[in-house]
Amino acid sequence: MSTFNLPDLGEGLQDAEIVAWHVGEGDHVVVDEPLVSVETEKAVVEVPSPRSGYIKRLLGKPHERVKVGAPIVEFDDATPVDTGAVVGHLAVSPEVFTGAAPKPAQKAISEIPPAMPKQISASPAVRALARQRGIDLSRIIGSGPNGMITRADVEHAGARTASGVSSLTGIRRTMAINMTKAHSEVVPATVWDQADVGSWWTGHDDVTIRLIRAVVAGCRAAPILNSWYDGRAMTIQTHDHIDVGIAVDFEDGLIVPVVRHVDEQEPAALRAEVNRLKTAARARSIAASDLRNPTVTLSNFGMLAGLHAALIVMPPQVAIVGAGRIFRLAVACDNGASFTSILPLSLTFDHRVVTGGEAGRFMRAMIGDLGKAA
Amino acid sequence: MAETTLIQAVNQALARAMAEDRRVIVLGEDVGADGGVFRATDSLFTRFGADRVRDTPMSEAAIVGLSIGLAAAGFRPVAEIQFTGFIYPAIDQIANHASRLRTRTRGHLQCPMVVRAPCGGGIHAPEHHSESPEAMFTNIPGLRVIIPSSPRRAYGLLLAAIRGSDPVVFMEPTKLYRGAREEMVDDGKELPVDRCFVLREGRDITLVAWGAMVPEALQCAAHCVSKGVSAEVIDVATLKPLDGETIVNSVKKTGRCVIVHEAALTGGYGGEIAARVARDAFGSLLAPIERVTGYDTVMPLPKLEHIYLPDAARIGSAVERAMAYA
Amino acid sequence: MNQPVLGAKFEIGFTRYLDAAGQLVRPLPKDADPTSLKALYRALVRTRVFDAKAIALQRTGRLGTYASSLGQEAVSVGAASAMRADDILVPSFREHGGQLWRGATLAELFQYWGGDERGNHFVNAPCDFPNCVPVGSQAPHAAGVALAVKLRNEPRAVVCIFGDGATSKGDVYEAMNFAGVWKLPVVFIISNNEWAISVPRRLQSAAQTLAQKAIAAGIPGEQVDGNDAIGVRSTVGAALDRARRGEGACVIEALTYRLGDHTTADDASRYRQDSEVTPHWKEDPIKRLHQYLSASGLWTNNEESALLKELNAEIDEAAEVYLATPLPDPSVMFDFTYAALPADLERQKRDMLHTLSPARERQAGE
Repeated sequence: MSTFNLPDLGEGLQDAEIVAWHVGEGDHVVVDEPLVSVETEKAVVEVPSPRSGYIKRLLGKPHERVKVGAPIVEFDDATPVDTGAVVGHLAVSPEVFTGAAPKPAQKAISEIPPAMPKQISASPAVRALARQRGIDLSRIIGSGPNGMITRADVEHAGARTASGVSSLTGIRRTMAINMTKAHSEVVPATVWDQADVGSWWTGHDDVTIRLIRAVVAGCRAAPILNSWYDGRAMTIQTHDHIDVGIAVDFEDGLIVPVVRHVDEQEPAALRAEVNRLKTAARARSIAASDLRNPTVTLSNFGMLAGLHAALIVMPPQVAIVGAGRIFRLAVACDNGASFTSILPLSLTFDHRVVTGGEAGRFMRAMIGDLGKAA
Repeated sequence: MAETTLIQAVNQALARAMAEDRRVIVLGEDVGADGGVFRATDSLFTRFGADRVRDTPMSEAAIVGLSIGLAAAGFRPVAEIQFTGFIYPAIDQIANHASRLRTRTRGHLQCPMVVRAPCGGGIHAPEHHSESPEAMFTNIPGLRVIIPSSPRRAYGLLLAAIRGSDPVVFMEPTKLYRGAREEMVDDGKELPVDRCFVLREGRDITLVAWGAMVPEALQCAAHCVSKGVSAEVIDVATLKPLDGETIVNSVKKTGRCVIVHEAALTGGYGGEIAARVARDAFGSLLAPIERVTGYDTVMPLPKLEHIYLPDAARIGSAVERAMAYA
Repeated sequence: MNQPVLGAKFEIGFTRYLDAAGQLVRPLPKDADPTSLKALYRALVRTRVFDAKAIALQRTGRLGTYASSLGQEAVSVGAASAMRADDILVPSFREHGGQLWRGATLAELFQYWGGDERGNHFVNAPCDFPNCVPVGSQAPHAAGVALAVKLRNEPRAVVCIFGDGATSKGDVYEAMNFAGVWKLPVVFIISNNEWAISVPRRLQSAAQTLAQKAIAAGIPGEQVDGNDAIGVRSTVGAALDRARRGEGACVIEALTYRLGDHTTADDASRYRQDSEVTPHWKEDPIKRLHQYLSASGLWTNNEESALLKELNAEIDEAAEVYLATPLPDPSVMFDFTYAALPADLERQKRDMLHTLSPARERQAGE
């Protein structure tokens, strides 16, 4: 930074009044360019620039008197920044934004299609018409291009052809699709056994909560049964939490709501959650999010009939537990025989990744837990 | 009533406008003694003289630029560009000046100028003579873009364009110059330049077109009757500012829409109309909106021109696709 | 002897009254009386004071990018001073002095450069065109306006000013060509300041003079010392007289120098040596007229001091008024797009107002 002083104006003059500046702060000036006009008693004098450069500061205002030799202008010696423009102003961004999204923490291998179809292809007009007529679009097969449901489809909804043949719709259709897929992928094996529940079974209890607890015990004994297996990539993801799918049967078919993190919940909370899900399922108002991604499934089919069953493992899960009808059995004990209540258990597992031994340990743990009085 | 072709209708409109308003000046290449290469300005030179019907040097940019100056200074110039294929040098003057003179001076200066040019193919012309650049102009704020499809509409819309105070790009489908004829009267009646024209009412599907595609759409609609399909046909005519309401109301009634234009698909004006219909008639749509357009290729020379240009048959296929959504 | 057969031959004349030292090199024109000369001087200084203020405002973020006319004031002031009130000026974007002479207010100029469309029209010069940014594209407009006054048989003429760079644009030649073949009353002034941003004159055209481009259009071309306000006024005045007499158009190349940067966003020291610029300060149009007036006893120190003070005060005050001007109502973006607001645009305007505030949207609907 260098200053320029008011030069000698001659004729013994000591000072002058600034009349007007001809340049401003920040201006680039060249040698001889007029900087300021100053007035003395004799004349109005233009003071030219002594050098090229950039004006940093003007050291005086119009009407102020400046002494000869006093600084009037500060020049800027710093190299000016190239603005890189000829019009307008290009802002410089303080940070570099690459537009990349943060990586997700965990990814599900695949999503199980929920029992409810998740996507109906129909134009807004057709949806409105269906709503108006109280017709469930999920029960309709679209005859339009790409399977889209047309207005005609809605208008003809529910009609059967003369031969009584009708297409699968809704959750039955979904079940058909899912079971076919499971059959083509899974290599199932089943182990059957039974648990003595005489110490707590009164004949009327809903065993669901005890069964869930038993499943937790089994998962702790053999965690591999609480996993997802991707047969294409041949990767296995063993979960640190247990989300149990509870098969619920009702008139329209089978759906499997999922109770989350059963290993962390108290029985009362589990009870409440199971009730909520069953109610929602029956009311057909269950959310798609409640049907997704169980880590292991439980089917209490014994409420109807059946002791043991080889159930279907639904990939990417690797296990499904079946609970059959509780029956009375005479068992040997120290002083002869006594009757107790027996709960038959079935465990079907995907033998591509689960061994018989692991299944056995799971089963043993379940039996042990179910045998406890409380 | 006399049977009038579209080019005759243009000529009549110009003559009437010049007769009723001394401020109307016609200028362009070959518009004077020759009466215009398509005879659009036939006889105007004899009738109104060299001051008002001016043969210009070959300078599309200056023809339009000079017209802007004329318009700002109180005249009503009607500049002819010989073919839309040669309008490109004038786009600077249209986009940077004509279209924004009013707004940038807050109405103190205005540009009541009409630029007329023949557009479109189907006339077996050499290269560059079959262009459809209307989409370029529709994206310029402040401009009116008009494409008539019949003698009566060419007459009425051109009169309105000349009498109005906005800059107008008026593109005349060359194929219809002599290809379209109808009975009409030179009565000085203008047509609204803020309205689409519903040419045919229908219940099942809306066909939206402009220019030389309008007769194709009408022909298709006639064929549709035998297939039990009732088609509504709309001539957009004034592309900008767009009367979206007429089109949307139609699709709300029919639920299906096919848009037809000669210009290439991508970036074509059909996309704009489709977006408006999708937004404003969303709840009524039964089928996806279809566009039947020229391909994203350069307009071919006459040997393949018929492959490129949409016609009633191609529109019919689109109608079938839309009607599959029963 | 064999005389060469010439298809055409031409000369480009050069006019100057006042040289760089402020000496008359030929007798003053008849209309150059002391009053008119002092008016010229005042206008030149006023332009420069405005110019400095505009730059200062831009530097402090209160004006947008601004194109200084430093050193070139005599071209537009000289030309404007030769025009009648009802003539029409079609400028480029460096004719602030000419606009001010013709009655543009300081507020209007500050508004234009400050980014407000209200500066695009001059209340006191309603037929003048606003600044033209696409270089040279105003030349056809000027020809069109000239055609209009000719068709109406009005004794008016058009002055179109553009720079040396503009003479390379097709529009400029096309306009000159129209003006030639239709004998239009338009004077094309080339304000040759030797620079088109960073491109010097020698890289702009191989033509020996820019004025001779007129010859190709069949109209006369001449040069004048663009820093000699008296010369510019006289030359342009004569050209306007000829135009009004129906003798058609011409081209006047005013030779000057751009002492400042192209715009406030440009730094000329990147491409031009400061040492090249310094000698041109000796040719300063204000300095030479000041020199002539003082030496002739027509201008005193007191008058100089008073003038500087008065003009600085006037321009400072105008700047304050500009800075205090409220923003325009955003509705104007829509209202003047067409003669009448189309329904389509009305919907967009409502949406825009709604995003600003729902209350304003309701207000607009009333």
